[in-house]
Amino acid sequence: METIIFYCIALFILITGILAVTARHIFRAAIWLLFALMGIAGLYFWMDLNFVAAVQIIIYVGGIVVLIIFSIFLTQQSGQKMAQASTKQTVFSMAAVVFGVAFIGSIITRFYFVESHNSMNTAVEHIGTQLMSVTQYGYALPFELVSILLLAAMIGSIVIAMKQKSEPKNN
Amino acid sequence: MSIQQYIQDVYGAIKSLLKGMCVTGYYFLHPKEIITEQYPDNRATLKLAERFKGEVVMLHDENNEHACTGCTACELACPNGTIKIITQFDITPEGKKKKALNTFVYHLELCTMCNLCVEACPTGAIVMAQNFEHSVYDRKQLIKTLNKPGSKLRAGVE
Amino acid sequence: MISLEALKNEVQNWLQLHVGSTMALIAESVLLGILVIALFAVLGLLLVFMERKVSAVMQIRLGPNRVGPKGWLQTSADTLKLMLKEGLTPDGADKFLFNLAPFIIMIAAMLIMVPVAFARNFQIWDINIGVLYISSVASISVIAILMAGWSSNNKYSLLGAMRSGAQIISYELSAGIAVITMIILTGSLSVNDIIASQENGWWIFKGHIPAIIAFVIFMIAVTAETNRAPFDLAEAESELTAGFHTEYSGMKFALFFLAEYINIFIVCAVAAILFFGGWMPFHIGHWQAFNHIMDYIPSSIWFFGKTFFLIGLIMWFRWTFPRLRIDQLLNLEWKYLLPISLLNMLLMTIVAILKWYL
Repeated sequence: METIIFYCIALFILITGILAVTARHIFRAAIWLLFALMGIAGLYFWMDLNFVAAVQIIIYVGGIVVLIIFSIFLTQQSGQKMAQASTKQTVFSMAAVVFGVAFIGSIITRFYFVESHNSMNTAVEHIGTQLMSVTQYGYALPFELVSILLLAAMIGSIVIAMKQKSEPKNN
Repeated sequence: MSIQQYIQDVYGAIKSLLKGMCVTGYYFLHPKEIITEQYPDNRATLKLAERFKGEVVMLHDENNEHACTGCTACELACPNGTIKIITQFDITPEGKKKKALNTFVYHLELCTMCNLCVEACPTGAIVMAQNFEHSVYDRKQLIKTLNKPGSKLRAGVE
Repeated sequence: MISLEALKNEVQNWLQLHVGSTMALIAESVLLGILVIALFAVLGLLLVFMERKVSAVMQIRLGPNRVGPKGWLQTSADTLKLMLKEGLTPDGADKFLFNLAPFIIMIAAMLIMVPVAFARNFQIWDINIGVLYISSVASISVIAILMAGWSSNNKYSLLGAMRSGAQIISYELSAGIAVITMIILTGSLSVNDIIASQENGWWIFKGHIPAIIAFVIFMIAVTAETNRAPFDLAEAESELTAGFHTEYSGMKFALFFLAEYINIFIVCAVAAILFFGGWMPFHIGHWQAFNHIMDYIPSSIWFFGKTFFLIGLIMWFRWTFPRLRIDQLLNLEWKYLLPISLLNMLLMTIVAILKWYL
């Protein structure tokens, strides 16, 4: 039963992923991407990683895909069908696909799938304390780094959006 | 914007919003305030507002006498030609000719119930009635004669 | 006394006895699906009728009073009409997405029902991140709105969808912070734990001023998030001809309409859980006798009572306040609600650390 559900979710992610890449309408591509990301969230739920799944939905569905859709809305002629990819593009993308498959395949054949036995503590309290702990395997430093990065981005956007004070008119 | 101004803004906003909510809340808790009339269910007991205007009528007393002298003040006052007064010349007992009303023609279909004719009337012969059920099958029925057949000017009205 | 909990256990035991455990799981899932859909239908009918009656009384009118006794069947008649109407799809629309959008918004609304506790021990799934789950799944409905607006191929729909989207995203911030403020007090995201922590009094009374401020901010923010008046400029009938669902008709329109009311129910249920203790009866500290008397009222009645009280509050907002302009809307969020809620969160942290609550 569990395995069947896993394969169903995996198939869903793969199909929507392929559709996202091949869709000729850019808005549809964004929607297929959304479904693929929601499928991944479903996979997290299947693994009982509730917190990660919820965060996946909040960040990717509520944040990034909405951002993508807004930028599509604000783009001119985004309703038109995109032009067929040229032969050069097709060849290069095929090469990239072949390389990717070969790379992942080589990793899998070398290491196989190792069953993990250490059960994870997925309680929110544990995640919170781990995020703030300064002991070994604590995430305090990365957390602070990320917050500084976000602060810098926020200040930057404020500076860009800020109106220049118009100089007093002389004439 | 100073911090004091900011707090004042928030306080004022909350106060005014609560004031508005008090008004609607009062109506919500007092269903007796409802003013909807369930017409035509309550046709028998229907009470219209005091200043509601339905149509122009001419007052007649029990002797079938009215107060219209045929002065055409209402006709002149009417902004859209609703009233047409046909006059005649009566012979007074002294042998003088005197202008009097023959037919008071009232076009209900043109009337906007503006009340100007009632205000213009020097003798108070016409008033606004509260009847509002005017629908008829033929437009001609809307052209009314206001003075009743056989009616005459009340004595003493000049 | 029959409680929902006893009923649930009865059904569960019967199923375990008569069919295998796997079959019982499947049967329970099907049963739950039917129950949720039935709840949606009943809520839709009830809330639309309630809205029309409340609005009527507040405007000194009578409201619907012709179909059935006192107009009770009015919404059923409207639903019947909507079902019989043709669901049009515009010619230039992206047909697939156009028809998909109403279902996405309904599925999102259904998924949010999962962690809501309707009565004592009566909950679909006590997920340990309950409140976070609700706010995450709620963000899916933005996508459905944007999808509907885009695929309608209509400039009014597109504008309405963009306004809706921007509004929902920006007000999600202060709603989220108000929720976090309460999470600081409860120390858990699970809906059951949050309710259990209010055994000796609801948070709105125990949490002092920060809890009340958080409640006010949460109510304002969720009113904006559900696109209701006074924040309904995204669906302004007079300006954008109903915004993102201009082109929808028949049952597809009804699904959007239903989802709007279901969302109101859900946000009010969340507010009831966070601030008024969900199904927890009204308890005062350690007054055992008083608490016992309150326990005699079934927990489901407490839950629905609180939720419908809050729904009434939101309806009260709608029928009192005039619509905001877009700059006023953004000013309210970014200049007032967000700074106040951040400060409030700080205040709440101090209260929680010093244990000033009971």
